[in-house]
Amino acid sequence: MIFHTDAVQAAGKVSLDVEAMGIDLLSISAHKLYGPKGIGALYVRKKDPRVRLDAIIDGGGHERGFRSGTLAVQQIVGLGVACELARLEMPTESQYLLRLREKLRRGIMDQLSDVYLNGHPTERLPGNLNLSFAYVEGEGLMMGIKDIAVSSGSACTSASLEPSYVLKALGVGDELAHSSIRFGLGRFTTEEEVEFTIDALVREVTRLREMSPLYEMVQQGIDISKIEWAAH
Amino acid sequence: MAYSTKVLDHYNNPRNVGSFDQADRTVGTGLVGAPECGDVLKLQIKVDPATGLIEDARFKTFGCGSAIASSSLATEWLRGKTIDEAMGIKNTAIVEELSLPPVKVHCSVLAEDAIKAAIKNFQDKQEVAEPAEAVGASN
Repeated sequence: MIFHTDAVQAAGKVSLDVEAMGIDLLSISAHKLYGPKGIGALYVRKKDPRVRLDAIIDGGGHERGFRSGTLAVQQIVGLGVACELARLEMPTESQYLLRLREKLRRGIMDQLSDVYLNGHPTERLPGNLNLSFAYVEGEGLMMGIKDIAVSSGSACTSASLEPSYVLKALGVGDELAHSSIRFGLGRFTTEEEVEFTIDALVREVTRLREMSPLYEMVQQGIDISKIEWAAH
Repeated sequence: MAYSTKVLDHYNNPRNVGSFDQADRTVGTGLVGAPECGDVLKLQIKVDPATGLIEDARFKTFGCGSAIASSSLATEWLRGKTIDEAMGIKNTAIVEELSLPPVKVHCSVLAEDAIKAAIKNFQDKQEVAEPAEAVGASN
């Protein structure tokens, strides 16, 4: 059994140990750790077990037949430097991001009711926060905080209307998945930006709840889970 | 995704947000969509018993910007119309007015469904009401 992990989000953010974690193949991408776009790396275990790959690029047989063709040296150097910096910065950076993320989480949750954290409270990337704002739809909320780049687990833009399968796998119900917003904090995120985000979120969620029939029903003491909604 | 100017306008300045008393005989309420689908529209009409005209309309919507804009626009269009005229409001007209892209057409469909549901609710109320006080709009 060969184990491959997509570590694109984890590399440079949390420590990875292919031996301790039993990883045979691991993918990373430079642009997720402040490196150049267009370069990634695949770790391939050499022994216990030895992993053998079929080449997807044929030609001159470079890199022992793994990848034929001329290499983009400047991209490779960029990835290498990005990794080096990430390793050097990780201890201080993760503390910085944790503090900002908790400031963001608390700032929002202290001022708004019915906000739910998606995922584990501590076993997560330091710069990642995913919240569901009950009774407000995620895409509608994103539109109201257009100065802030976030993403939503609501798939209102797709024809399927199916919310994020990742949130569903985490046990989040469809209703709260549609109300979810993912915040990403990084090396260049500032304290002021976090404060700006808290204010914008509180203002917009409050506005949209005043416009939400679900919020109104809950205020009136109606159990919305008992209503027979028509599927559409 | 790029929203049209009209969608943005309705989203930022929604018209006729609010609620009427559902028990009021002159009020028709339509509630369509489902929370687990990411859209719920509540649309209400208030009919003037003397003229049979929709004198006012209100909405509350849980949904994306296009769903909010579709319901806001619907309340604007409903005001001053007869029940028959209101029945004639088509989702395609909403799509056109708001320049909704194909993935947002369902928002306009929900708005049309909400209009029809509100009218039906109003008409059902008139049937159970005392015939002596028949309301003009029930045809």
